[in-house]
Amino acid sequence: MFHWLEKNPFFFAVGVFVTIAFAGLIEIVPNFAQASRPVIGTTPYSTLELAGRHVYIKNSCNACHSQLIRPFKSETDRYGHYSLSGEYAYDRPFLWGSKRTGPDLMRVGNYRTTEWHENHMKDPQSIVPTTIMPGYPWMFTNKADIDTAYAEQLTIANVFGVPYNKAVPMKDGSTKIVKMGKDLKDAQALALAEAQEVVKNMKDQDVKDAVANGEIPEIVALIAYLNSLK
Amino acid sequence: MDINELAAYGYFFLIVFLVVGSYSYIYHLYTKKKDSSGVDYEHYSNMALDDDIDSTPVKPISDEKEK
Amino acid sequence: MENRPLEYDYTVAKMFMVTTIVLGIVGMSIGVFIAFELAFPWLNTILGPDLAEYTNFSRLRPLHTDAVAFGFTVSGIFATWFYVGQRVLKVSMAESKFLMFIGKLQFWLYVIGVTAVVISLFMGYTTSKEYAEFEWPIDIAIVVVWVLWGVSIFGLIGIRREKSLYISVWYYIATFLGVAMLYLFNNMEVPTYFASGGIGDVMHSVSMYAGTNDALVQWWYGHNAVAFVFTVPIIAMIYYFLPKESGQAIYSYKLSLLSFWGLMFVYLWAGGHHLLFSTVPDWMQTMGSIFSVVLILPSWGSAINMLLTMKGEWQQVAASPLIKFMVLASTFYMFSTLEGPIQAIKSVNAIAHFTDWIVGHVHDGTLGWVGFMIIAALYHMAPRVFKRELYSKSLMASQFWIQTLGIVLYFTSMWIAGITQGMMWRAHDEFGNLAYSFIDTVDVLHPYYALRGTGGLLYLVGFFMFAYNIYKTMSARPVEESELQNASPMGA
Repeated sequence: MFHWLEKNPFFFAVGVFVTIAFAGLIEIVPNFAQASRPVIGTTPYSTLELAGRHVYIKNSCNACHSQLIRPFKSETDRYGHYSLSGEYAYDRPFLWGSKRTGPDLMRVGNYRTTEWHENHMKDPQSIVPTTIMPGYPWMFTNKADIDTAYAEQLTIANVFGVPYNKAVPMKDGSTKIVKMGKDLKDAQALALAEAQEVVKNMKDQDVKDAVANGEIPEIVALIAYLNSLK
Repeated sequence: MDINELAAYGYFFLIVFLVVGSYSYIYHLYTKKKDSSGVDYEHYSNMALDDDIDSTPVKPISDEKEK
Repeated sequence: MENRPLEYDYTVAKMFMVTTIVLGIVGMSIGVFIAFELAFPWLNTILGPDLAEYTNFSRLRPLHTDAVAFGFTVSGIFATWFYVGQRVLKVSMAESKFLMFIGKLQFWLYVIGVTAVVISLFMGYTTSKEYAEFEWPIDIAIVVVWVLWGVSIFGLIGIRREKSLYISVWYYIATFLGVAMLYLFNNMEVPTYFASGGIGDVMHSVSMYAGTNDALVQWWYGHNAVAFVFTVPIIAMIYYFLPKESGQAIYSYKLSLLSFWGLMFVYLWAGGHHLLFSTVPDWMQTMGSIFSVVLILPSWGSAINMLLTMKGEWQQVAASPLIKFMVLASTFYMFSTLEGPIQAIKSVNAIAHFTDWIVGHVHDGTLGWVGFMIIAALYHMAPRVFKRELYSKSLMASQFWIQTLGIVLYFTSMWIAGITQGMMWRAHDEFGNLAYSFIDTVDVLHPYYALRGTGGLLYLVGFFMFAYNIYKTMSARPVEESELQNASPMGA
């Protein structure tokens, strides 16, 4: 009946394509608009947080840490409220991960401090003696890439309409404005101001000096990002 | 009828269609045994076994050229 | 030239055989190393604190997955295509200067692409999407390589002598189309350097999709990358190499027709099972579960077709290590296509997801099915492309047993580790508090991680034996054409 297909490569290829494309069409398309709407209280990432998110991605933190709390008692007990679709509206890319070699980080900002992260990232064994997580000392010397973070902010604001410099509704009825620099200089100044807030709670003298000199080590950006995960 | 209901009906009839379609295809294959050009399906397996460049194709691309 | 009879031309196949072996060694060595890093964390700084950034688990993990998937496996797919494609279409690449040029161009671009991937991943350029970590310039290079492969496939088909396409060719075509579609849609990204008018890093890009949508597209891709890189083309190989090596026609051509179209239709729906209990809509999760279970049918259709091909010829399994590789490969295919649907059932997934059981599942599929089939394919090809007998049969047999032991250690340890961890995460004490802190569930895994590393090491040792065997084959006893009809000639 269909045997002529195997003798006609063109129609065969078309047949295969239609068969495999069908599922994607049905599964993915209808959900697209719905899932991209943010829930109230979700704000875009600031410049420094975004730079920190890049550090997180650069070091593939998502290879061992998930950012997805499933609706089970054991998970909500351990990590907090289960994840809602709209909470991820500004996550490009998503960082759910697929393996929990370490704990979930979806709401790590609720229960870990700047100081804890600083010590833990430098030498995890000093905080959790039997941990198998390696240290990330190079983050204390490598500089965060604020320029690229700003470029990404500009891109997502222009192309995807992410609401920077606009009032975003919060849970308590107030509004919040996440600022994005007018130009690169402005963005760098904003990020530095954020970084100065973060280093107030840090101990490492080299990091403090670097920020005082107008440089932002990766660790400062990363902690700003981790603290924003709530 | 909203989109979900429509999708549910679509889904149901698709499944029915696929079940009927694939079973009749199986029935067709196993009763006819030969394709429209009169070659038993199982002969096509020889394409892997007898695959030297000068062996005779199971179904040559052009009958005139090969004869 | 004029006086010589027409022969199949394996130049490009040989080139890809080299990259299959080299990238296999690279990817598997990194895999073994990072497996031991989980058991013995001091290995993370084995080259000293200055280089720790590059020997760290997290930096190496994407390198491992990409090197074995897009290095070893994809090279294997290309190598076998440039061998099988010619033979079942009964046309030589020597007949077309154009196709020969395209094939070589594809190879060298591929090598450049792989080099760029290795360097960029070491430097930390990644989009974080699993099996799609490459940044946009490399994505473009990959698309070009893929299009060139498409030209090769359809070019060769265009000048074929055999009118009907053999089963393997269907699967190669499906691989080409499937990966092309999935890869393009999942890697839709905007380079920020250009979109922002020249600010920041040129390499950086941002995904076109956000959050849940991104996850949906990624796992639609991720699951089907497994389908169209680890399943479909490997089936293409076994449908050619097992009948050819054993001299037995496929058990049922009709069954292969049914399982092909069944697999094509069903596979793509199952991606949702990676997102169970996440924030994607419920109906999609359920659909993912159901179709994963349905997927057993077409998968087992192919696997049973393979095993029944050996009907009445089982003495060949005992006699030839090469047949052993292929029969065990199809057995592992059956095994992991049963294990996968079990893990996709919601209540099982609640325990299994995020644990090492998933890692175990991937590896019994890739080590047992993909790895063994590619190894067998290259063993079958080697005497025919080099016109020499395989260097050593006993070496091959010992390799088989060492690697099989490695796989068994691997998946058993990961089963226990995964289920243990999954159960500990969800355990509550009598007062309703969590019974274990997270670190308790890490501590308990140490012996299993050590065992898994050992299993991986055994597999790697076997792979080195394979590489050595192929290398020595190039200088082994020359053979006559007549010895190459079915069973491959092997030295002691």
